[in-house]
Amino acid sequence: MRKTAVIIDDERLARNELKKMLVDYPEIEVVGEAANVDEAHRIIEELNPELIFLDIQMPVKTGFDLLEELERVPIVVFTTAHDEYALKAFEVNALDYLLKPIDPKRLSDAIQKLMFQDDRDLQVNEARSENRNFLSDLDQVFVKDGEKCWFVKLAEIRLFESVGNYARVFFGSNKPLILKSLNSLEERLDSKTFFRANRKHIVNLRMIEKVEPFFNGGLLLEIKGGEKIEVSRRQAVRFKEMMSL
Amino acid sequence: MLNKLNKIPKYWLFQGLGWTLFTGINIFFALTYNLFDQQFVLRISLYVVVGFFMSHFMRLVIKRIGLLQKNLNLQLIGFVLVSFAFAVLIGTIETYTSMLLNLEYKEEARFELLQKITSNMFTSFIYLFIWNCIYFIYHYVSESRKNQVDNLQLEALVKSLELKTIKSHINPHFIFNALNSIRALIDEDPSRARQAVTGLSNILRSSMQSDQLEIITLKKELDIVKDYLALELIRFEDRLKVIYQIEEETLDHPIPPMMLQTLVENAIKHGIGKQVEGGQITIATNEDEGFYTLRVINSGILEMQDGHEGFGLQSTSNRLSLIFGDRALFSITQTDAKQVEAKVIIPLNLI
Repeated sequence: MRKTAVIIDDERLARNELKKMLVDYPEIEVVGEAANVDEAHRIIEELNPELIFLDIQMPVKTGFDLLEELERVPIVVFTTAHDEYALKAFEVNALDYLLKPIDPKRLSDAIQKLMFQDDRDLQVNEARSENRNFLSDLDQVFVKDGEKCWFVKLAEIRLFESVGNYARVFFGSNKPLILKSLNSLEERLDSKTFFRANRKHIVNLRMIEKVEPFFNGGLLLEIKGGEKIEVSRRQAVRFKEMMSL
Repeated sequence: MLNKLNKIPKYWLFQGLGWTLFTGINIFFALTYNLFDQQFVLRISLYVVVGFFMSHFMRLVIKRIGLLQKNLNLQLIGFVLVSFAFAVLIGTIETYTSMLLNLEYKEEARFELLQKITSNMFTSFIYLFIWNCIYFIYHYVSESRKNQVDNLQLEALVKSLELKTIKSHINPHFIFNALNSIRALIDEDPSRARQAVTGLSNILRSSMQSDQLEIITLKKELDIVKDYLALELIRFEDRLKVIYQIEEETLDHPIPPMMLQTLVENAIKHGIGKQVEGGQITIATNEDEGFYTLRVINSGILEMQDGHEGFGLQSTSNRLSLIFGDRALFSITQTDAKQVEAKVIIPLNLI
């Protein structure tokens, strides 16, 4: 199972060095490279790689900026000279990082870990290739709230709430804000899993614990985290249709 | 003579002088008012002997309860209370002793016992209070002088520590990036890789040695900067252009080690490194009457974070003022839309 990868680093020599090291791993195919965030954004949209090697400190925009811009975040391996502190921002996430100059042993560990992960996500990849426009359950998004960062699988998100131009994302015990409107999220999310309950909320159908009738023909959903979300009358009709299927 | 005097503890000196003075004043008044007789001499001897020993005892008590270590208000109240307690004690002792030894004046003998004690107590309170005032003031003054000396020593220590920490500030990010580039160069251009290793060694060595020196020549500093920029050129390739405009006669002039290096590093990090297309960096020096000017000009936009400068700039001006006082100058300005200039003016005669 080959994985496509893109290398993002502002230094040509650093990119070359990594490419050279990756020659030993036929399971990784480097399909592109970029020297800054804007270039990287374009290439990722175009080539849709499964994996990116990402430097953090780059001119104008950092690697974190890139991740925030991306709709669908590939698997990320950070490559950095001396940024352990920046990586501490990540809480529980299974992310990998390589310190430059890269130790071949560390690189081999990282790739092994990727391949192991790959077996688990096999079906997902197949599902993904069917419909590339929608984000699937196991696609991850990058969320940054102040100093903290997370990679979140969509399946872990139970609720999106609209707050002005932002959306609040509920997962685990966290609820950071991301700069995306609820409408644009709705367009990209798989409607089989994510349901627009009302003007302000999108809920993950798999995270619903209880459904109760509400006045005026609406419904009240209780979600796993304890949040209670009202479903408007119009949407309640659609909800019943979907659930009865 | 003076040597011998110095060997006597200060306390006994004060105690002796004080009670001698007390006796002297009393004799002086007795003579003026024609009261000097045998009874007076005995009486004053009693006063001085009791006073001398009791005040010494009082000092032991003050030391025992650690009164001088308490805060100022407690000390003042404590001294008044101690004075009062000992006044009662001395008043009683004196009254009984003079009654027993038959030393009382005729006028005195008429009073009640309590009145005699009160009167003796009152006079002894006054001199005990004066005694305590002197004791307190002496300790207060010597304590604050000691504090001043301590503070000065502390300041000197802080100053030397500050110099040490800001001197050897080489960015680890740079070192690892350089090593990474060198690794890639080993295949691509082996001879350039060899040069780069030498350059990096020079930088590391001089950054370690700079701990021991406060001042080096511009020539030496410039050697390091050249090594440093050669390494950055490997990383940035055609995104970096370096121009030197160095006046020959400034090469022997003094500069704090790693200072130019810090400015150049800042210019790369905040100027060139933040632009996708890179930029240009110029290092220029020129000599004037009594001082010389050092300039680092780079393409970029000056960013001040909420009015306060970054660590590098802050430490540059701190170091200059620590070494040259207010005769050196450091400034950083946006000279035109796309250019930032850092300027250091250093005096030539050091003292």
